[in-house]
Amino acid sequence: MAERRRGDLRDLLFGGFLIAVAGFTAAATWSLRVGTAANMGPGYMPRVVAALVLAFGLFFVIRGAVAAFHPIAPPQPRGVVFILAAVAAFALLVTTAGLMIAAVATIVIAGFASRETRPLETVLFGGAMAVGAVLLFVQALKLPVPIWPW
Amino acid sequence: MDLFGNLALGLATAVQPVNLLYCLIGVVIGTAIGVLPGIGPIPTVALLLPFTFGLDPTSAFILLAGIFYGAQYGGSTTAILVNVPGETSSVVTCLDGHEMAQQGRAGPALAIAAISSFYAGTIATLVICLLSVPLSALALKFTAVEYFSLLVLGLLAAVVLAHGSVMKALAMVLLGLLLGLIGIDVSSGAARMTFGIAELGDGIDFVPVAMGLFGLAEIMANLERPPVRQVVSQKVRDLVPSVADLKAAFPAMTRGTLIGSILGVLPGGGAALPPFTAYAIEKKVSKNKAMFGHGAIEGVAAPEAANNAGAQTSFIPLLTLGIPANALMALMIGALMMHGIQPGPQIMSEQPQLVWGVIASMWVGNLMLLIINLPLVGIWVSMLKIPYRLLFPAIALLCCIGTYGIANSVFNIWLMLGCALVGYLFIKVGAEPAPLLLGLVLGPQLEENFRRAMLLSDGDVAVFVQRPISAGLLAVAALLILVLMSPTVFRKRKEALAE
Repeated sequence: MAERRRGDLRDLLFGGFLIAVAGFTAAATWSLRVGTAANMGPGYMPRVVAALVLAFGLFFVIRGAVAAFHPIAPPQPRGVVFILAAVAAFALLVTTAGLMIAAVATIVIAGFASRETRPLETVLFGGAMAVGAVLLFVQALKLPVPIWPW
Repeated sequence: MDLFGNLALGLATAVQPVNLLYCLIGVVIGTAIGVLPGIGPIPTVALLLPFTFGLDPTSAFILLAGIFYGAQYGGSTTAILVNVPGETSSVVTCLDGHEMAQQGRAGPALAIAAISSFYAGTIATLVICLLSVPLSALALKFTAVEYFSLLVLGLLAAVVLAHGSVMKALAMVLLGLLLGLIGIDVSSGAARMTFGIAELGDGIDFVPVAMGLFGLAEIMANLERPPVRQVVSQKVRDLVPSVADLKAAFPAMTRGTLIGSILGVLPGGGAALPPFTAYAIEKKVSKNKAMFGHGAIEGVAAPEAANNAGAQTSFIPLLTLGIPANALMALMIGALMMHGIQPGPQIMSEQPQLVWGVIASMWVGNLMLLIINLPLVGIWVSMLKIPYRLLFPAIALLCCIGTYGIANSVFNIWLMLGCALVGYLFIKVGAEPAPLLLGLVLGPQLEENFRRAMLLSDGDVAVFVQRPISAGLLAVAALLILVLMSPTVFRKRKEALAE
């Protein structure tokens, strides 16, 4: 560890993200008419904002590269993966299997995100939340969503 | 327009039974989420938004506003009893509030926090009344040129006063502007960045973005931190503070209210910045400096008054100019637009019942909060016994249901998922998501006004500095940037926000 590393990883990562977004925007809006300031086409603002985002991206990459080494707190995939999986499960299930099943699935999958989760408790809690959600959102607030798959 | 006429109209609106009910619901929910760390007013308001569509806009707004200032009350309870801020705005209350609780004075600390909040809420309501009319009269003189400059100033100021790196915040605003561009361009009908997805035609919904960035990303980050939660198990008694306590707290409350009211109006102010400032000033002017950090009652009164005053006065730019002061107000603008009300200077003359009804409801709501917070403090404390392992799946589920509910669209859930992932990246690299939300909500207005201004001036950008009001606004914006660039201010700001 005697070797002196350079680079603020936070700035480098954020800068890289900005450059990617700017490039993506430019590519997606390239065919739109830009026009002039007096008669702006639909492509005018995207072009201007994308150029600014690119400038900021370059700024962060350069600042990050010359700065002293600064790490990023190492990501712990467990939380991220299971929370995203829980949301994805809800998206896939809610209109097909109904709110009851989607809610239980979301709670149970989300539960895996934490080491402290107790399986039985989470399943029971998921059931209770599902019933509560159906009563509150579907019965009381009239959210148009199926309750059961049938 | 006279002040009393307005207030009377407002009060008459606010005390209608249905509005009283929604106000009560709002402040109860607000207190609950304020007490619970890990869920803030932004995802809560976003969650409830779709379900307010059926309501009268005034009732809906009263409910949503109640959540915001109710959360300021609730946050202090957790800060005092657990030493964990229930909301970011109650971070400083932990310092002296929790110290008081450890000395067995939890009762007086809670009482002073609630009384300070109520006192500040009352004064702030009056401040809103006094400032709203002249500000909206000024705003009626605005054309697209002034409006564009005002939006630029609003966005810049929000960045300057926000936490964290200024450069990162500016970049976040731009990202928000980019997201705001998605959809069918209103003047040409061309689809921009919709990638053939029909749901994106009307533009990106801000609710999934807010829930992803603030609700879900926050959970993912929280799960990586070691859990801390130890409730002070003492019985909370002496909820009626002694005369000596009140005497000591009163000047602090007044100063806190003043600071909160001023900082709340500024863009970026809201409820987060005032308590820090108020605490720092109180520490300087107090006669017993040594007591600070060791259970000084002024150290509870001043920040609590400041955050509540700031939470309320941050409605002023929204109600008069249609400019949100912080991310939550950006959500409120979205709420107005969904109810078919165009936010902006004309809102006061076109919707007097809504504006004054909401203002008066804040005072009514504060009264309710005083009542539900003090005698019922035990109930709120028992809520803290809900472990996080159950809380976070429930929040995730509610985010899903709320996002779906905004347009009954599964696409929005996927959008929220994407935003959650990006939000997690933002937390990792230390970029605050609030400016992004401001950019997203204001982006379309910014483009529209720029386009109109350019049409008026025939493409001459000089128009922005030729008109006096616009030039003044831009000068303030330029000054802000200059001040920010100067190294001494930069260091001071860092210190002030680091506290």
